[in-house]
Amino acid sequence: MSTFTLFKKDISIALFSVLFLILIGFFVEHPWPKDFLISIFSFGLLAMSLNMLIGFAGMVSFGHAAFFALGGYAFGLLLQSESFLTNFGALSIIVAFFVSIFITGIYSAVIGAICVRLNEIYFAFLTLAFQMFLYSVIVSWVSLTGGDQGLMGGIARPVFLGIDLSNSLHRYIFCSVIFVICILLLRILNKSNFGYSLRLIRDNQERAEFLGIRVFRVKLICFVIASMVASVGGIIMTLFTSGAYPEWAFWTQSGEAIFMIMLGGISIFLGPLVGTVLLRLINDVVQMYSSHTELVTGIIIMIVVLGLRKGLVEYLLEKTGILKK
Amino acid sequence: MKNYKNKIKRRSFIKVAGLGMATTALTGFPNILKAANKPIKVGVTTILSGRVAILGQTVLSGMKVAVDEINNAGGIDGRKIEVISRDSKAKPDEAARLTRELVNNEGCEVLLNCEASGATFAVNEVARDIKKFCIHCISETSSLTADPKNRVPWVFRAARQGIHDAVGGGIFASEIAKKNNLKKFATAAPDYAYGRANTAEFMEYLKLFSPGINVTTQTWPKIFQPDYTENITALLNAKPDALYTCLWGGDLVAFIDQASLYGLFDQFQSFAVNLGDLPILTAIKKIPKDVYGGARYHKDIPDTQANEDWYNKYMAGSDVLPTNWSWEADTGMRFLIDALKKTGGDTDPMKLAKVTAGNKIKSPFGVDGTMTIRGEDHTLVNYVIAYGKTITKDPYLANIQQSNWKDIYVHEKDWKKRKKYI
Repeated sequence: MSTFTLFKKDISIALFSVLFLILIGFFVEHPWPKDFLISIFSFGLLAMSLNMLIGFAGMVSFGHAAFFALGGYAFGLLLQSESFLTNFGALSIIVAFFVSIFITGIYSAVIGAICVRLNEIYFAFLTLAFQMFLYSVIVSWVSLTGGDQGLMGGIARPVFLGIDLSNSLHRYIFCSVIFVICILLLRILNKSNFGYSLRLIRDNQERAEFLGIRVFRVKLICFVIASMVASVGGIIMTLFTSGAYPEWAFWTQSGEAIFMIMLGGISIFLGPLVGTVLLRLINDVVQMYSSHTELVTGIIIMIVVLGLRKGLVEYLLEKTGILKK
Repeated sequence: MKNYKNKIKRRSFIKVAGLGMATTALTGFPNILKAANKPIKVGVTTILSGRVAILGQTVLSGMKVAVDEINNAGGIDGRKIEVISRDSKAKPDEAARLTRELVNNEGCEVLLNCEASGATFAVNEVARDIKKFCIHCISETSSLTADPKNRVPWVFRAARQGIHDAVGGGIFASEIAKKNNLKKFATAAPDYAYGRANTAEFMEYLKLFSPGINVTTQTWPKIFQPDYTENITALLNAKPDALYTCLWGGDLVAFIDQASLYGLFDQFQSFAVNLGDLPILTAIKKIPKDVYGGARYHKDIPDTQANEDWYNKYMAGSDVLPTNWSWEADTGMRFLIDALKKTGGDTDPMKLAKVTAGNKIKSPFGVDGTMTIRGEDHTLVNYVIAYGKTITKDPYLANIQQSNWKDIYVHEKDWKKRKKYI
């Protein structure tokens, strides 16, 4: 059976979602929803890809934002390079997009080869250590990265195939399409044999080995794919802010992604995405009235974690009987 | 028949006109009035939480002086200035997001960016992207406006610049060094771009004006570091002739308090460029005597009635003493108000840019009572740069010496050439 037939429903939902998002772009004149959704696309991909590690494979990574930052920095640096722009001309954005994902893939394969051999707390702390290593490189290598001031001077966005990414509508539609493709990819992986292998490894690694699954290889592939998806989130944020900043590679960014997963729910595919929307909304709304955003966010997360003992989506689905306890 | 038709037409016209006027009166006219009186919203992002939140507070209080003056005088063609502020927590991506939010959601027509350097570069790119007139009021990093790649036609800076302070401070310190035969210098600076760039620029000019000086020890405490013991010990062990530090805010207060316990300031001459801010001077438990400090903001520097008046107006609306950030925010707001007056309240970025480039305004913080935003690189010049020596009582700084802008212009031009900015 072809992939299309197997995932017909998911592909249809994805097509409908793209159409819906594009319609929002065309018919909602106010720029706020587009800006808000672009930030959701970006951080949503970070949280969803992290949940591929945590929810699918049981690998709790504390350093996932490193790949988000690496994607953003690689993309930004390539588009700031005069020689790169001269060589690739109108195709610069597309080439930079794929090269940045590729660079992140290579980097994560090296890091992953070291980290995925370990389990639980050792894996978590080693990923955190590698994230802080990247952060230190970004902050110290001032001549390349701009240090703690981030990439300065803006990022060139040459027009390609009639798409002008300096135009807010074009940028929004471009990001929408990329976002939905990435989510669809994660969904297909989740529902495929690969996804089942990951869940088996998560639940009983020894049994998976006895059944002939090459645990190390499967976990490494999962780690690399999740990192590459996170890098797409970074690329979207770089396009949006026209810069890249070391804070993206700081451990708190990974912590925020974990909060998003906790808020939405670890066991529901779109739970982290709902968590992303909730966290961004809480942050944005509270910030309009007070500077105590962390306090409010902390209280809400405490209520969800201690009160509900599960993500909000999981709780609601259980309450409505859709999800069995 | 013809006349009759004309009469009907005239009557119809009167009726329609009457109806139109009534409709306008009932609906449209209030809207016209409303539009005319609609405030000009100015979006401000700054740091209002964390260890340097006090600086963000003094930003808002500083610009309030200028805003109150124009609003009490009736605004700009009847339109008042309304400041809408947000706390970025000093995070660049948050500052970028909030700047967009201020424009898109709050309807801010112009921006006054009051962030430290990191976030300023982020806001700079947002202003470029969304094409909104913006004045940076805080960042002192020279490349922000000196480097052509960072320059945006509708973005300006109304703040100090590192290179200006480096030349002024370098000349001042070199005279002290020559007089007291200070050869071995140590530095203590925050470990981030500002600290490293500022220290390098200062030492470069100190060596230029006083050849033979060597930097023997450099220590780089982390920003917001609570304990400076290791840095203080390193400095004491190095036994330099003099120390230069560009630590700032709460970090400088903590460093001086802790270093005083070791008697560091009794052992060698010290220069602290960011010392001369009133909240800093008053927060230090025991101000060491005879430390040379840069006058960031002081009510007696320049010692004019205009500065005294500004200080009193500021204190009438603030619980916190003014800082360097206060006068910079006030200055940014005054340049903005002046530009808006010249465009008749039109917030078109290019129109505002045209009247801001090369604009000179009266200011209590200017060397001769005026300050200019230079047209060629969109940055502020002719503000007071001064150094003084600490005394233990109010006004805490004495023997103030102002830097000469003629020297600064000459060396700034050379520096730009060396950096290939021109």
